[in-house]
Amino acid sequence: MSDIVSIIQRVLGEVDLVLGWTATGAGGVAAPDRFQTAAEAERAVFNATCVHNLAVHLPRLKDKTVGIVAKGCDSRSVAQLIQEREIDRDRVKVIGVHGLGGMIDVRKIWRLHGYGVPVDARIDSLFIDGREVDRKEYLRQKCLGCRDTVPVVHDKLFEAQGPPITGIAEAATVEAILPGTGLGASLTAAEAMSAAGEDESRPLSELFANMNPTERRLFWREQYSRCIRCYACREACPMCFCRDVCIMQTTDPHWTGAGVDAGEAEMMQLIRVNHLAGRCTGCGECERACPVGIPLMLLMNEQNQVIEDLFGYRAGTDPEARPPLLTFDIKGDSRSEK
Amino acid sequence: MKFLAGENIAELLERLSSRSEVWAPRELRGSGGTVMFERWRSGDPLDLEHFASISAKDMVLPRTEKLFGFSYAFGGAAVGNPFGTPAEPAAGTPAEPAAGARTAGESIRITAAEPAGNVVLFGARACDAKALDVLDALFGQTEGKGYNDPQYRARRAGLTVITLACLTSDPACFCSSFENGTAEKAGSDLILYPVDGGFLAEAVTPKGESIIESGVNSRDKDDSAREPGDGDPETGEAASGPTLFEESGLEMPVLAVTAMVEGLEGLRQKLAAIFDDLEFWQAETEKCISCGYCTYACPTCHCFNIHDEMRGDREGERLRSWDACMFHLYTQETSGHNPRPTLAHRYRNRINHKFSYYPENQGEILCTGCGRCIRGCPVGLDIRDVLRQAVEASAGPGEGGDR
Repeated sequence: MSDIVSIIQRVLGEVDLVLGWTATGAGGVAAPDRFQTAAEAERAVFNATCVHNLAVHLPRLKDKTVGIVAKGCDSRSVAQLIQEREIDRDRVKVIGVHGLGGMIDVRKIWRLHGYGVPVDARIDSLFIDGREVDRKEYLRQKCLGCRDTVPVVHDKLFEAQGPPITGIAEAATVEAILPGTGLGASLTAAEAMSAAGEDESRPLSELFANMNPTERRLFWREQYSRCIRCYACREACPMCFCRDVCIMQTTDPHWTGAGVDAGEAEMMQLIRVNHLAGRCTGCGECERACPVGIPLMLLMNEQNQVIEDLFGYRAGTDPEARPPLLTFDIKGDSRSEK
Repeated sequence: MKFLAGENIAELLERLSSRSEVWAPRELRGSGGTVMFERWRSGDPLDLEHFASISAKDMVLPRTEKLFGFSYAFGGAAVGNPFGTPAEPAAGTPAEPAAGARTAGESIRITAAEPAGNVVLFGARACDAKALDVLDALFGQTEGKGYNDPQYRARRAGLTVITLACLTSDPACFCSSFENGTAEKAGSDLILYPVDGGFLAEAVTPKGESIIESGVNSRDKDDSAREPGDGDPETGEAASGPTLFEESGLEMPVLAVTAMVEGLEGLRQKLAAIFDDLEFWQAETEKCISCGYCTYACPTCHCFNIHDEMRGDREGERLRSWDACMFHLYTQETSGHNPRPTLAHRYRNRINHKFSYYPENQGEILCTGCGRCIRGCPVGLDIRDVLRQAVEASAGPGEGGDR
């Protein structure tokens, strides 16, 4: 029997601090925390609201040896950071969490039941305000169809023993990702509605497959029109570690405009997406941090899929892999023409 | 007090929008439930139930605004100057080109930004409206205070705020920590109190009174630039139609009381006492990822950047846009030195600016307790915890009394 507290306490013998969670968020949901002593680690928790990708802190803690509790998806960020030599494998101890049953979308709970409602989100059951509800209804979109239940890199394993995640849901649907949208209206073009079809329960991928480039453009224009250029997407991203020399804010040369009209915001987002080509591990923290709810992962997932189709490569699945977009070898094995 | 039936809200907005831009909260399509103040047009839905994720400060401080346009031209003396400072060299000064001038014989043409129009903000909360009042002190809209910021003042003068009183609050709200809490009237022109079937309307300013009287924005009455056929301002033709505000003997509803942060008295001294305790600030910011959400969502955060956007190399615009003190670049100096090198330094500044420097300089706390920074923080950082711990730490060993 091992629980998260004792695992963290064991790892603390080898590192300066451990990144994990405490249940100090609103209504008892998890918030990131760090532990430096066994006494501090007593307050550590692991539950289905531990959604944060703590790997974002690693590039900022290069002067320390760090332990990190990482879900399967988070461990891909750790692996990618190792591959890019942003962090030193020897200075990081990964407590991989194995066997999760998907994480809970707290924002959805707040939207439906009020901000700060007491939440008891266990690995295999969910209680909102003391009443048990069907946890499948509140699973995070990105957890549906998870392919990363086993941590890629880990030094210790924490068995969460959650329900199997496969078969929970087929795929993301329009209605789930764009709730109550009346999507047609959002495109300001009636033709988008006909492209989407009347049925919002159809998978989103199907919707986009049926949109022509103009319709997609209109869709993204509307989404980007509310971007406030706060750069929370960048700051929340574990792979956006350029931070203070980011192309978005350099003034000499002045690569990108700083306006907030949809065109400028679109350019900024497209540059960001491209800079993460072959590097994005799909953790979705950019989308979670976005204060105006732009579905940033729609585009990122699309690109990740293209890269997987072209190169058979998923970022952050192998710290030793050669990144296909940083390699040019015309006869090499990193490129498989189809 | 007057009564406004719930079903007449759309008609009220309709009338207001004939003379002003109307901005009101609504849920954004495709945003996963994000509510924002958006430009309202006839038939648009409203969301008066949920709290807007981003504050309404861009009514007076747009995310990006044009200060002026400029272009370089050869010959002529076409130097427009919208700011009233002398464009020609003072008498006796040789008319030499300034250092760094582009080419002899070249002149710069300045074009002023379009003047701000009238705006009605509908559905703000007391904390949103109070925030405008707090900002007024800095940007010169409060008599005898702050700096004269013409762009801000023009927008503020053209803004009418219709506030929706709060009968409920959520656990992130903490406006009751401050003087008037949910009963705050500063910054509002008209306050709507929810009652059965509609709202009781209380006019706070003449602008608010004129809405009750006529259903149109008071500023329209002296708007000399009206288009022909806009209706007669004297007779209020544009406001024809059924009376929206009726006499009512309904009781005032009970306003919400929110969570409170105790011990905020004398906070300035308390914060001064722990100013140099960097370990305290490091501990408070351990989980922060400096995404800046708190500053962008905040109704009172107003830091901005000014930059030139060029179109080609001969013309461009000077823009002002939101910036955030939580970013490293915000205080990065050209020399490479950064006076706030770490997150701890930056967060310390954020808290001190809100609860120490601004009160000292402008006489107002730079926080209205709206709770947006708490609700939206991606890592669950709660400014109230920081304040409580600051109060606690300042009372700790040594009392910090000799500072």
